[in-house]
Amino acid sequence: MARATTTSDVFNAIGEPQRRRILTLLRAGELAATEIAEELDLAVSSTSKHLRVLREVGLVRVRDEGRQRYYSLDATGLRQVHEWTGGFERFWAESLDRLEAYVGELQRKEEDDACG
Amino acid sequence: MRVVEGIEREEDRQIVTTRLISAPRELVFRAWTDPRHLERWFGPYGFTTTTRVFEFRPGGVWEFEMHGPDGTVFPNLIEWVEIVPPELLRYRQQGGRDDDQNAFETTVTFADRDGATELTLRTIFRTKAQRDYVAENYGAVEGAIETLARLTAYVGEMEGTGA
Repeated sequence: MARATTTSDVFNAIGEPQRRRILTLLRAGELAATEIAEELDLAVSSTSKHLRVLREVGLVRVRDEGRQRYYSLDATGLRQVHEWTGGFERFWAESLDRLEAYVGELQRKEEDDACG
Repeated sequence: MRVVEGIEREEDRQIVTTRLISAPRELVFRAWTDPRHLERWFGPYGFTTTTRVFEFRPGGVWEFEMHGPDGTVFPNLIEWVEIVPPELLRYRQQGGRDDDQNAFETTVTFADRDGATELTLRTIFRTKAQRDYVAENYGAVEGAIETLARLTAYVGEMEGTGA
């Protein structure tokens, strides 16, 4: 179940399987909270709690229409995850940091060998 | 040379990265030529690399797997297209043997700058859309949600064990 400590962090928010199911479902497009509950066979109250957590970390956005609340995926929260997973720029920034350190190591080793 | 597909301008389909490294280019070039070296630095922090095949010659391949911090395995295949020691490397890269449609080509140049090396990586994609996709998802080849699910599986496990 949603715990208070999980609400502020996107990674904790998606560590919960039901919330991942909700995100997967929303890939197809916007859905009302009641439709999500029905589709996933969840209680409306627990669906609402999960949706609130997802909304607080920026993974879903909400739109009110009449008496219904409609939810869709929000890229704001996804961006954080992309930054963590890498992307091309980070891949090479970190690889080249490592290359630089490694080449320095090789260089020192060869100088030592030459002296010894 | 492979004919680059697409009609979009090259500058819209490429990513260029440069880095000045304070070591002679012969040494920097050498770090690219042997899996013992490549495995020590290729990939972001927390990733490890396992080489399956390594043939350092034009037309030869470096077939390897990258292991992400969460255990996700990313198959990779690099085919060396052009090798000019210690100045230039050109290679075609794709995610494993069957991922041909997502291949892209990178040219690495090693320029001497008073004993240091200016490294330039220029990757050209087939289309701007492919570039934008790879720019965002490289190292996370699945769709965003699957990626979320996979990357955080271990977070879920930690929660489950009460850690």
